[in-house]
Amino acid sequence: MKPTRSSVPWFTRVALILLGVLFLLPFFWMVSTSLKPLNETMKLPPQWLPSSPQWNNYPDAMRAMGPFWLYARNSLLLAFLNVIGTVFSSALVAYGFSRLDWRGRDACFFVLLATMMIPFPVVMVPIYGLFKAVGWIGTFQPLWVPAFLAGAFNVFLLRQFFLSIPRDLSEAARIDGCSEFRIFWQIILPLAKPALLTVALFQFMATWNDFLGPLIFLARENQYTLALGLQALQGTISGTPWHHLMAASTLVLLPVLVLFFLTQRTFIRGIATTGLK
Amino acid sequence: MMPGEHRNLIKGLVFISPWIVGFLAFNLYPLIASIWFSLCDYSVLSQPVFLGVQNYVDLWHDPVFWKALRNTVVFALVAIPLSSFLSIGLAVLLNQPIAGQGIYRTIFFLPSLVPAISLAILWQWMLNGPMGLVNNLVRPFLNIINAVCGSHLQAPDWLNDPNFALGGLILTGLWGTGQAVVIYLAGLQEIPLELYEAAELDGTSAWQRFLHVTLPMLSPVIFFNVLMSIIGALQTFAVPYILTGGGDGPGRSLLFLATYIYQNAFDYWNMGYASALALCLFVLIIALSLVSVRYGEKKVHYSGR
Amino acid sequence: MAKVLIENLYKIYPAEKGRPEKVAVDNANVEIQDREFMVLVGPSGCGKTTTLRMVAGLEEISRGAIYIDGKKINEIPPKDRDIAMVFQNYALYPHMSVYRNMAFGLELRGVPKDEIRRRVDSAARTLGLLEPDNLLERKPKALSGGQRQRVALGRAIVRNPKAFLFDEPLSNLDAKMRVETRTEISRLHRHLDSTMIYVTHDQTEAMTMADRIVVMRHGKIQQIAAPLDLYHQPANLFVAGFIGSPPMNFFNGTLTASRQGTLEFVEKVPAGQTPFRCPLSAETSRRLSSRQDREVILGLRPEHLHPNSLTSGSTLEASVEVVEPMGAETFVYLKTGGHTCICRTTQVEFMDLEGKKLNLGPDLSRAVFFDPQTEAAIPA
Ligand SMILES: Nc1ncnc2c1ncn2[C@@H]1O[C@H](COP(=O)(O)OP(=O)(O)O)[C@@H](O)[C@H]1O
Ligand SMILES: [Mg+2]
Repeated sequence: MKPTRSSVPWFTRVALILLGVLFLLPFFWMVSTSLKPLNETMKLPPQWLPSSPQWNNYPDAMRAMGPFWLYARNSLLLAFLNVIGTVFSSALVAYGFSRLDWRGRDACFFVLLATMMIPFPVVMVPIYGLFKAVGWIGTFQPLWVPAFLAGAFNVFLLRQFFLSIPRDLSEAARIDGCSEFRIFWQIILPLAKPALLTVALFQFMATWNDFLGPLIFLARENQYTLALGLQALQGTISGTPWHHLMAASTLVLLPVLVLFFLTQRTFIRGIATTGLK
Repeated sequence: MMPGEHRNLIKGLVFISPWIVGFLAFNLYPLIASIWFSLCDYSVLSQPVFLGVQNYVDLWHDPVFWKALRNTVVFALVAIPLSSFLSIGLAVLLNQPIAGQGIYRTIFFLPSLVPAISLAILWQWMLNGPMGLVNNLVRPFLNIINAVCGSHLQAPDWLNDPNFALGGLILTGLWGTGQAVVIYLAGLQEIPLELYEAAELDGTSAWQRFLHVTLPMLSPVIFFNVLMSIIGALQTFAVPYILTGGGDGPGRSLLFLATYIYQNAFDYWNMGYASALALCLFVLIIALSLVSVRYGEKKVHYSGR
Repeated sequence: MAKVLIENLYKIYPAEKGRPEKVAVDNANVEIQDREFMVLVGPSGCGKTTTLRMVAGLEEISRGAIYIDGKKINEIPPKDRDIAMVFQNYALYPHMSVYRNMAFGLELRGVPKDEIRRRVDSAARTLGLLEPDNLLERKPKALSGGQRQRVALGRAIVRNPKAFLFDEPLSNLDAKMRVETRTEISRLHRHLDSTMIYVTHDQTEAMTMADRIVVMRHGKIQQIAAPLDLYHQPANLFVAGFIGSPPMNFFNGTLTASRQGTLEFVEKVPAGQTPFRCPLSAETSRRLSSRQDREVILGLRPEHLHPNSLTSGSTLEASVEVVEPMGAETFVYLKTGGHTCICRTTQVEFMDLEGKKLNLGPDLSRAVFFDPQTEAAIPA
């Protein structure tokens, strides 16, 4: 018998409410601060709400960051290229690991899984040297070209999904006259849309949130992403204008939140399945 | 090999070719090159000059390296258990049949979406000594304690106090633990209800059911999460870097191996030394992963597999 | 329009970890005539699917050859073999409409649009996909099992292939749909007049649909024959037991010389029981004379055991265990000498005989004899 609503003890509910409030507080504090005039941010004890919301803080913060829209464009461009690149290439590779039988496949896949244990800081020095050698330092290429070479984690996710598609479908298509690539393109990809969307979302977040990559590969300010622009804002100003920093942080966070709420179900399902297999 | 098998092999290799290129360029080459660079004096601008094991000798005598190693290990050993307890606890709470389960799940999940840059700046502000929200929540409790015990406890200036900076970072991390909550919750919902019913018929208490049903059934998920957390924690860079305004904290209390690699590589252009550090980090990750796999093999219960 | 020739065909799955080498098809030789409906039948795992998939080109041929219209197709990819296949689970593309599912193969072959429309419409009409409901724009998910099956048939038909291949196409349907679709496929075969190779484990399907049947076991072909030939002249014990429902009765015994100079079959029974003995006709005796005093297995179809019959002069006493009235006929399960046998009769007066004794008269002119060592039928 499933426990009924009333059988949940009251302290469970209280604990949840308290924890929920605790988890929401930082968001509240961020937005509240972002709408305060500078002097109200410094008040002791702190004021929960601005006496009158300063909507101007947002345009001001954007101006303080410098070419905000250029940064936003750079971030979006990189996110777009990364999403396209990784979805396509990871799907291709996942197909090779799931829907084709070839000698050595499982050994290769094991190597792929093992590469998930190599974090970026471990390999960034030689990679930097590599990009330096081809003259890509100070350009966007280091930040998007690798996405076209498939991400191990995305391959893993997509492979799981591809494995669940019946083999018969590929064979029917083969008899219908499909080449291998066409089976991939016209049969498997359309059926894998939910998984592809998940990968696209994860990749968008990862690129949008990336800090270390842009930090080491970009040189000129007009190439900065929002993350770098925001860090520059944090660094340049003395006497820390917390209202501006909070406004700018909110702006950087906003697209992510919007995307999350638009795709919540896919997103949560995607996260949940990553841990279960 | 028969001709068909040969064809299949070629087809397979064509499909995975993007990964092969990526693997060679961004995994295999860098690992091998790191070993070579770590034996050299190398600044990217000039050709590497072979030094032998000099970098490793320097490393051995470098107190900053030991500091970074200590911070990294301590951070992993404290933050991972804490966030595991928190997220399993939250998931168990959420797994009750309560109204608004989806809303709570979203609330706990949202912080994990916050980009590192926003997260770090927000928590820099949250942890601010006099004006931060954290201290303003802590102070009333301290006042009560001080009044009762006659002590003189002060709210710490988190990020400017070498004794508290790491704690501040861990707090920041705990707030962003929501991804694990979602995964654990999904894991909990996979556990068949009959198991609980059977255990209940055997007259077990709720706590015993948690110990003997929930934990074993959840153990593969826990294992996976912990492994991923280890790899994540050991490479932590962006949040402490931004929290400290691009530095390593008071008394280098927020200096991690990844930070130190970055500093050597891109502040001092000492790529050889950075490579030696990177290999140490890699060995650490492999070692801790192996330990947890070994340990996990014994403890993890794979049902039906 | 196609003749399919399977010559010394082998499929050997190489050993893998935890699994030894597996010979799934062992030297198969079959000649399928143009327009023939050939059914491959046998118990699960006997290599039927593997054989069919090698014809389709979905499985590599280990050894031997397959010819379609005299052309060796071992190395020809499936799409160029001009065959169509209907899968057990239909394998309809879930993201395409019924129309697209049927049109896809034609599109890929560059058939003009209006020609595609014409062919799909005509196939859909034949299969009842237009009336009473037009299903062409639906997705497979919105169809019943039977409808999906017909779409899968349609996808094969529009291609107008040289040969149709079916792999257990009815096994996912309920009993009633299965019988309906069975007749539907037979009707299609007459209508399309093309070669069909059909795989099933169900001997009833095989018997009802086939022009000829290939019986397989453990990867080896046991017999190839028309249904009734298979039924009356099984090549060995396995075929005799596999084809026909309820199955053939077998009696172990010896052939001894009788006083009339003919042979007599004497059942082997445990000590103390009376054996069932019956004299063979002069002609049969002559045929089996070389087997005198040797062991044989006597096979008798249930309908050739006549209850209460005194005609053949020999009777078999048995006690009735279960009576299964089927309507038009009745199955009687009996116990004799030490084992059970089944008798099938159109007489109806056995309904309340359970537990009683009954005399059976075997019709030995229809009996089949097998060699107990080789299990092969003793040739006529
Ligand atoms: N890919 C494979 N690898 C190894 N053995 C296989 C493979 N496919 C089928 N087999 C084996 O070959 C035998 C014949 O299989 P199959 O042709 O599918 O039998 P069925 O007559 O039931 O269709 C079975 O014993 C099966 O286990
Ligand atoms: Mg089969």
